[in-house]
Amino acid sequence: MEGILMSILGAIATFLLAFVVGMTYGGIRRKVIARVQNRYGPPIYQNFIDAFKLFSKTTAVHHGAMHLLGPAFLMVSAVVALMIIPVLRDNIWFTNLNFKGDLIFLIYIMTFGPLGMALGAGQTGNPNSAIGVTRGLSQMVGFEIPWVMALVALMIKYNTTSVVDLMNVQNEVGQWLIFQNPFAFVAAILASLGMFRYAPFNIVGAPTELASGPASENGGKFLFTMMSAGSVFAFVKLTLLVDVFFGGASNLIELVIKTFLLYMIPVMYGVVNPRYRTEQAVTYFWGWPLLFGFLAIIYSVYF
Amino acid sequence: MDYGIYQDKLTRIVTDIARSHSLWILAYGTGCGAIEVPATMTSRYDAERLGVRGAATPRQADVLMITGYLTVKTLKRVIRVYEQMQDPKYVIGFGSCAVNGGMYWDSYNTIKQLDLYLPVDVYISGCMPRPEAVLEGFAKLQEQIRAGEARGATKYKDNLDYYRGNQKKIIKNWDFPDYNW
Amino acid sequence: MNIIILILILFFLGAIITAFSGKISALVQDILFLIVLVVPAVLFFTGVDMNTESIITFSQAQLTFGMTPLSYYFSLIVMGLAVLAGFYTVGQMNGKKRKGYYYLNYILSIGAMFGILMSKDFISFFIFWEIMTWASYLIVIYNGKNVQKIGIKYFVMSAIGAYAMLMAIVLIHSITGSFLITDLISEYTGMTQGMQLLIPALLLIGFGVKAALMPLHIWAPDAYSNAPMSYTAIFSGALSKMGIYGMVIVFLSLLSKVPEGALIRDIVAWLAAITAAISTLWAIKQDDAKRLLAYSSIGQLGYIIIGVAIGTPMSIIAGLFLAFMHGVFKSALFMVVGAVEKQTGTTDLTEVTGLIRKMPWTFLAALISIIALAGIPPLGGFVGKWMLYESLILSDHFMLVILVFFSSTAAFLYCYKILFGFFLGQEEKEWAHVKEAPAIMIVPMVILSISSIVLGTYPQLILKPINAAMMSFGLPDTYGNLWKESILFNKWGNQIALAPIMYGIMLVFVIVTIFLFFRNRSRTRYVTTKDISTSGEIIKEHENLTFSRGFFQPFLRAVEPVMKRQIDKYMLSFAKGVEDLFEFTRRIYNGNGQTYAIYAMIFLIILLMFGKNLLG
Repeated sequence: MEGILMSILGAIATFLLAFVVGMTYGGIRRKVIARVQNRYGPPIYQNFIDAFKLFSKTTAVHHGAMHLLGPAFLMVSAVVALMIIPVLRDNIWFTNLNFKGDLIFLIYIMTFGPLGMALGAGQTGNPNSAIGVTRGLSQMVGFEIPWVMALVALMIKYNTTSVVDLMNVQNEVGQWLIFQNPFAFVAAILASLGMFRYAPFNIVGAPTELASGPASENGGKFLFTMMSAGSVFAFVKLTLLVDVFFGGASNLIELVIKTFLLYMIPVMYGVVNPRYRTEQAVTYFWGWPLLFGFLAIIYSVYF
Repeated sequence: MDYGIYQDKLTRIVTDIARSHSLWILAYGTGCGAIEVPATMTSRYDAERLGVRGAATPRQADVLMITGYLTVKTLKRVIRVYEQMQDPKYVIGFGSCAVNGGMYWDSYNTIKQLDLYLPVDVYISGCMPRPEAVLEGFAKLQEQIRAGEARGATKYKDNLDYYRGNQKKIIKNWDFPDYNW
Repeated sequence: MNIIILILILFFLGAIITAFSGKISALVQDILFLIVLVVPAVLFFTGVDMNTESIITFSQAQLTFGMTPLSYYFSLIVMGLAVLAGFYTVGQMNGKKRKGYYYLNYILSIGAMFGILMSKDFISFFIFWEIMTWASYLIVIYNGKNVQKIGIKYFVMSAIGAYAMLMAIVLIHSITGSFLITDLISEYTGMTQGMQLLIPALLLIGFGVKAALMPLHIWAPDAYSNAPMSYTAIFSGALSKMGIYGMVIVFLSLLSKVPEGALIRDIVAWLAAITAAISTLWAIKQDDAKRLLAYSSIGQLGYIIIGVAIGTPMSIIAGLFLAFMHGVFKSALFMVVGAVEKQTGTTDLTEVTGLIRKMPWTFLAALISIIALAGIPPLGGFVGKWMLYESLILSDHFMLVILVFFSSTAAFLYCYKILFGFFLGQEEKEWAHVKEAPAIMIVPMVILSISSIVLGTYPQLILKPINAAMMSFGLPDTYGNLWKESILFNKWGNQIALAPIMYGIMLVFVIVTIFLFFRNRSRTRYVTTKDISTSGEIIKEHENLTFSRGFFQPFLRAVEPVMKRQIDKYMLSFAKGVEDLFEFTRRIYNGNGQTYAIYAMIFLIILLMFGKNLLG
């Protein structure tokens, strides 16, 4: 009984942590963009205010069952991915389902949410939503390739497909994987530019082009759910990168510092870039990122 | 806004503060006034520090900005957009034209008085109102929200027949679907 | 009498009786049709024994029938799908013409597939193979549309496969002096090296045609999309698996025994991976749901062939598991397309939109099958995909992993296209009259989609027969090292526990759904898809806002260089070249007596001029 209670509390704690960290990072991102544009910018807790406001707004209309389920799919996928990912090293509170799944499972469960959301967006009947979805899926085909190559390079080097084992390997060797296979890190971080969907890869939401794409018919609680799921997803992606390349974190402060520094890479890259066209956003990942992916695999096999 | 859901006064205060600091505007560029919105949003005046930011579609927006004169043809679209927005929602009339027709006071197809057709919470006068005035308008709206006075949406819902009557008087080819707040 | 022979006789007699019973009444024909499909299935599942063998002797040849664990596994696919698609067929063919013809060929092909699986010698194997090919050919041209183009394409490719197989069989007989498959296996290692490569290669060509392996796949998109959908469910779900069945035997019992086999296995695996990638891209391009699914089938068969060809225990499990799963979800999807076609009259994704509220059950079946196809956990497709990736990584086929990953990610694109095209998007007035398909068509689809959920959580249900089949080929027992109940392992000791994950997902899903779905549903009201943000414009009923043309145009622009090359064009230019050669030959032998006289004279003149030197 105590074990069940503990695991439920642990799951809730993990979720709250991810939510708060993800939201705050979102706020920091807005602040950073503002500072780069020589503005004062909103306070870093602005995203919490926005989320609370969205939650308190009435949601009067829906377009059918899939529209209602779309954000739910997104949330489920985010939460399950969060439960699989090891948040901290050797910490009983954040264990959750760490040992039940592996990297390939993670890759797939993380695509489950956006696809569910895509179905929800599809049922609204807004042409912009569907266009946004087709762009998002196309882009996914682009960045998954270098991303998978980076992960495969690590898997074959250390004979494991589990995130927990990869973390342990780094502790045993005493060196982070970013130094052991830098090519894999470069490929992964370039792929993560597409994963975060910040400029220049913000072709899905593109407010001035597509009226925010898949989100265009969602207001109020729908948008709140999407926003929170997005924040949790951002946390999941960052934690995964930290776990895989930076040896994980043993306490929350270390985790926050590492994830924050990593988060700044896509943010800084995005803040000085305009938006790509869709085919550019797809083929971008088949240039340098792909080359680094190949290098990573070759490096893993022969060195 | 149906305040019956939030019986607790504290909740209401917190909600109102959150709402006042998170205004997502739908800048409906009806007329020349739209040129002042970018100036308000960008680096010199930076409305985002007040929590004001652009929304892409009516479903996501809180504030409808009527920037400039409204022709009858545009009025139809504006009403449609307003009805698609979700509660609570606010309207800002922007520029002299929205207040009283401005330089189009004797035009045959321009709306002279906006609040006959939509419940306006804040007017910003001027031709054009400078960004400072726009920010002032936002601050005014925030004050109203915090005080619980910005109840345009409730007003519109309660007096729907009145507004519909006015709207139908001026819009000849009436083909609106039902209002489904 | 042996039960296998009984089932075969039931099939073939039943086919003929069903075909002619249409004279009595259509209802009797339908019932007879179902009886002929259900009774053998019941007999099979209750009575067939793994150990018995029965031999029919004709004057010279002996036909041997018996069941192996492998053929039992494939019979599960064939029998299960035959019954489910049979019920669906009755619904779909209701009111169509030439039912007798269709039923006859349907049952014949099922019987032939069963015969192939039960054959223990090459004579009966080949006979049933040909019956299967002919029956399916007759169904492909059932519609009577483009018979010239499509029928001949399928026929020629099948003939190539059949001749290759026949050659192999003749070679085998000349070497071993026996037609038994077991004799071939036992004497294979003693053959010369040339024969060791030639026989499997010829057999693989024969099987590769049915399994739509590049470059032998060109018949598949046309044939799959031209047959009635109730048969395409069988065509793609079960009939293509006959090719896989043959390949499993060739790879596991022949090519794995000799060191040179590794080369052929790698070549086939690479061909299959390229097939998967390219056909996925082509599937994305299709606007017709049937053709889209046909290309998708080719791609999915590619994964299965990769798994079988790589030949590690895990990859074989992956391949065989995916073969079952592909049978389940792809048949369900073809049935969905058939249901939509029956209710709307078209399968064009650019025309049909917004059927979700009109055909909710069909949508549900399509949704679940699509999730299974895309390989998203916790459904059955993921189990196969996971094992395939792990086995490819573990056996050092890194580039194949990337190719497979690319094609399965790109598969999301056409998955979304088919769901969006039919069911989501704007609800147009044109399709307001559409009703849900009859229950007899819905039930098989829903059963199939439920089974893909069940297999995602409890894959041991079919991993057990797979394991038995693999052990019969002398592979090690995989229970406990690669899977245990609902936990999958890899060789490195990493595991994925499907059941807890499934329950976890269900729990979170239920909580979130209660929180969002029901709460939002009760507080919100439904508005039509015309009530969307369009900058204030009010959309009229007749205005069509559906986005369905040029659906993945930017992506297709990005991959354009790859899609310029088509096997079809190469094949056509090859055929053109051959035709030109024949034309040239025809000009020489033009059947005119005078021309031949001139040839004779020229020959004589040459002889006179140079004869002395030549002879001299």
